[in-house]
Amino acid sequence: MPLPPATGTGRYYAIAAKSIRLIRHGCTNRPFFHISVTHRRRLNSQPVIEQLGSYDPMPNMNNEKLVALNLDRIKHWLGKGAHVSPPVAELLGLSGFFPIHPRSYMTAWRNRRTERENQAKEKAEGSS
Amino acid sequence: MSLIKLCQNSTKTILFKCTESQGLYISARKLSIVPSIYDGENPAPKFFSSGVQIILKRLTRPNFEKVFRKRTNSNISVLRTPVYKFLTDEELKTEQSNAYKSAERLLQMPPVVKVQEPVDDVLSKDPALVGYDSSTYLFTDITHGVANEHRLIIQREPDGTLRSCDHDVRKKLNQIYFPMQGRKLRDPLVFSDPEKLNSLLERQKYEYILDRACVQYEPDDPQYQKLTSITYQHVDMNNQYDLIRSTRHFGPLAFYLTWHNSIDNLMLELVQTGIIREAVLLMSLRQAIKEDLVNGEESTALVSEILPTRIQLSKPEFVSEEDIQLDTKCMECLDKYINNNSAMKSQQGLALQGFREYYQQLIEISRGLQKAHGNA
Repeated sequence: MPLPPATGTGRYYAIAAKSIRLIRHGCTNRPFFHISVTHRRRLNSQPVIEQLGSYDPMPNMNNEKLVALNLDRIKHWLGKGAHVSPPVAELLGLSGFFPIHPRSYMTAWRNRRTERENQAKEKAEGSS
Repeated sequence: MSLIKLCQNSTKTILFKCTESQGLYISARKLSIVPSIYDGENPAPKFFSSGVQIILKRLTRPNFEKVFRKRTNSNISVLRTPVYKFLTDEELKTEQSNAYKSAERLLQMPPVVKVQEPVDDVLSKDPALVGYDSSTYLFTDITHGVANEHRLIIQREPDGTLRSCDHDVRKKLNQIYFPMQGRKLRDPLVFSDPEKLNSLLERQKYEYILDRACVQYEPDDPQYQKLTSITYQHVDMNNQYDLIRSTRHFGPLAFYLTWHNSIDNLMLELVQTGIIREAVLLMSLRQAIKEDLVNGEESTALVSEILPTRIQLSKPEFVSEEDIQLDTKCMECLDKYINNNSAMKSQQGLALQGFREYYQQLIEISRGLQKAHGNA
């Protein structure tokens, strides 16, 4: 099946609330996300209003995660009052377009804490 | 029986020796080429100045048979026979001007610019993000209508630094999101493997290398400049200028040789083949770029006289009185250049002497012919 165009095929209602969110494409065990704008009350499986970018959460051979953002259109939809879902807000925060999302900081220090704990555990096992 | 064995043994040793010497020869040749890139002064202002562009285009010596030749039949499903038409003079003129226009498009020279500088600007540092992820995030702004070189491409590293990407990453991401036809994400093996490149050079597929490099790299890419530099030097060493002539790469080749003070071989070839006017053009090119000639102004003055004349594709066969005047001036100018500025004085002097004798005979023949036709 051919992909729908980036301009989207979903029906557009001017007054309804919009949201910019990740929409899972890809297949089993291989996630790939489109960053799209759609109506808030619409399911992710339904057609979107417009695609604004893409996000590949699996690191490639150089250990890089690729994110594409159509900043021009994102600004347009933000100006129209679109809501931004937390994962997209995190990505935009990392890119320097938004302030860094608090959840990013939370994930970072939680990761650091588990690493510290693991190290301490290894040390304890090594000494005993 | 033993005699035959001895013979076989001896042939083996001979064969072995042959291959050994060949191997040495190739490796010696490989070692002798050291690529040089435009990393000092910026060559772009000189390359793009109108005077230099005109001289380079003229030095290309476009031969339409070569410019419009069929190179591949990849886009042509059926090879068609040529069409012959009867045309009036006006129609012929429009056809010719169309041909000149399309030739100009085909012969557009790849630009010669300074090598790119590494990008190093840190946008922000956030140590609180250490541990967020172990891989780098690459963000590309895919806004419509932005040129590849102005596209916003940045990376967030595992240590929380947000910085602009370097050129290799930019090139890769531009190719991922906005693919260019013919360009590959990874360098083709021809360019990454010196053995393969060397084999192409040995087979003198210069135009192929240069065209491929043009597609694969930007002109300010250090790899592009290295590759072209090696190819130009190989062409120069083997005197195979004719393979590059009438292609878009001859201008940059001439510019490269002039910029690196090594036009002597090209000059010698021009004098030997008897295209004396282009030799003067080459002189004035050196004057425009390096400004180190004794009689530089004389040669630049001659350029305006040479440019309106027809392009010489081979040695002149018949000369008019105006041609004789112009060519004598050119020869005098060249003589001074050879005595004062040339590094191959004796060889170029000999070649010029040879041309002089040939030209003297040509003058006699042409004048005799004119007399015989009753025009003198």
